[in-house]
Amino acid sequence: MKRVRLGLVLGVLTCLAGSALSSFAQERPRQRSPSPADAKLSFVGLANNARVPSKLTVRFAVSGMEVVPAGTAGRNAGHHHLLIDTELPALNQPIPSDFNHLHFGSGQTETEISLPPGRHSLQLLFADQDHVPHDPPVMSEKIFVEVVDAPEEKARSAAAPGAKVFFLDLQDGATIPTRAIIRFGVEGIALIPAGTKNENGGHHHLLVDTELPPLDREIPSDFNHIHFGRGQTETELNLPPGEHTLQLLLGDHEHVPHDPPVMSQRIKVRVVAASSDTTRAVIAPPAADKPAGRTPAPNDAAVYFVYPRNGETIYPSSTIRFGLRNMGVAPAGVVKPNTGHHHLIVDAPTPPLDVAIPADLNHIHLGGGQTERRITLPPGKHTLQLILADDQHIPHDPPVMSERIEVIVATRIKKPGRRR
Amino acid sequence: MRKPLALAATWLAALLLAMPAVAQAPPRKPSPRGAQVYFHYPLDGLRVPERFTVRMGLKEMGVAPAGIERPLTGHHHLLIDVDAPPSDQPIPSDYNHIHLGNGQTEVVVTLPKGPHTLQLLLGDSTHTPHNPPVISKKITVYVR
Repeated sequence: MKRVRLGLVLGVLTCLAGSALSSFAQERPRQRSPSPADAKLSFVGLANNARVPSKLTVRFAVSGMEVVPAGTAGRNAGHHHLLIDTELPALNQPIPSDFNHLHFGSGQTETEISLPPGRHSLQLLFADQDHVPHDPPVMSEKIFVEVVDAPEEKARSAAAPGAKVFFLDLQDGATIPTRAIIRFGVEGIALIPAGTKNENGGHHHLLVDTELPPLDREIPSDFNHIHFGRGQTETELNLPPGEHTLQLLLGDHEHVPHDPPVMSQRIKVRVVAASSDTTRAVIAPPAADKPAGRTPAPNDAAVYFVYPRNGETIYPSSTIRFGLRNMGVAPAGVVKPNTGHHHLIVDAPTPPLDVAIPADLNHIHLGGGQTERRITLPPGKHTLQLILADDQHIPHDPPVMSERIEVIVATRIKKPGRRR
Repeated sequence: MRKPLALAATWLAALLLAMPAVAQAPPRKPSPRGAQVYFHYPLDGLRVPERFTVRMGLKEMGVAPAGIERPLTGHHHLLIDVDAPPSDQPIPSDYNHIHLGNGQTEVVVTLPKGPHTLQLLLGDSTHTPHNPPVISKKITVYVR
């Protein structure tokens, strides 16, 4: 009896809500696209009441519907909206577009947001080509996240005692032109792009006209703190004429200085307009005498694993397949711009990026231009990484390399259950 | 019972087709046993957006840019909405035959709505298919 009454109440409520909505819709008629009953929208890897850093990546998952860019009509299709610290908007009108209602009109399925410290609400709402939610609306639960005080003190990576960074061909008190190539050297530590965790590795930061930042947190990123997150070893610096200070500071995968910090002396340089001939002599020598130059690579080039993906379980004998974006493959020894050949690094750290990749069992060269390789590994956890290298086996600048992924080799793999 | 017969028939047809090509062939580069070119993406029968990336895989051989002569290498060609060209001549270069001459292993294509066929064909340094030709299955995708 009770259940019936509850059902009745619910029915009446939905009727009321329905009539309220329809009366609203009469004022501003907006056609709502239908959505399937099983459509589901949710956050990926973000739980209710999670503690998160102030800068976080939010990923969206939708099932039962398709993600298409705004403006593209389609059955059971739409694009994501992220509602931050706000209630649901009216469901029969286009979702507003402001700081609290973020649109992902290109069909994005993730975003990076910055939130001030404190408690915030997040909710996902799917909408059709006109930004109007579907009927019934496809939305996630409203979750809350707690942003801890930033910048957070972070664990510092250890650096080898002998590690150092220094300027190449640039002394304290040197005179340089307004547009100068500054080159960095490292010793006793490996150059690893940001985001890739590695023992005794890091990437350069050039501090211009500024004191050392706090060493127990992320190095700021602005005009005074220039990041070289892709492992670059030189930059073209534009400075106004006058006195300036330069200092190098190595940061780990999270941009946090090492312990002890690996940094250069803070040097003073005098910048003069390049037109005056008297300064030519003291200008840093031209690029000609740099050791074994690295081949440039386009900035948007990327190498990635087609198979397997990070965390996957694979058979002891598996074919590893490589993908390459915005560059081409050429066998070793072939000199051609924007090409290179693959190297598969198995169970080894990222090798130094300014010399030829070693050739051994852990560093597999695909010098014939191969784009896949069958390997056999003992059971257990293994790491794999791809690095593209030029005709001389030296990684490009910036290096074109994949994340170091982890795979589990199992002798028996459970076949995913067939869908009936 | 039917399947093996059909298979044998296609093999025979393939052989017959290949024979004359071999007979009048100028020097064609040999391809190794088991060499195979295939699609990572898209797969046969898939519905795809108008603009999508075609990714290709190559078994038992390597990729080299056009003009580079190395044994057991070649470069990819993407055939769109056409039948495979004769395998004893250089692959034509037009909108239906996309050359990936810099050794690319993926390409972004934009196609009008509707069904389209895609096929991969490896060419040697002179854009000529190998002997036997390294060619993928012809797949159909539906652009929505």
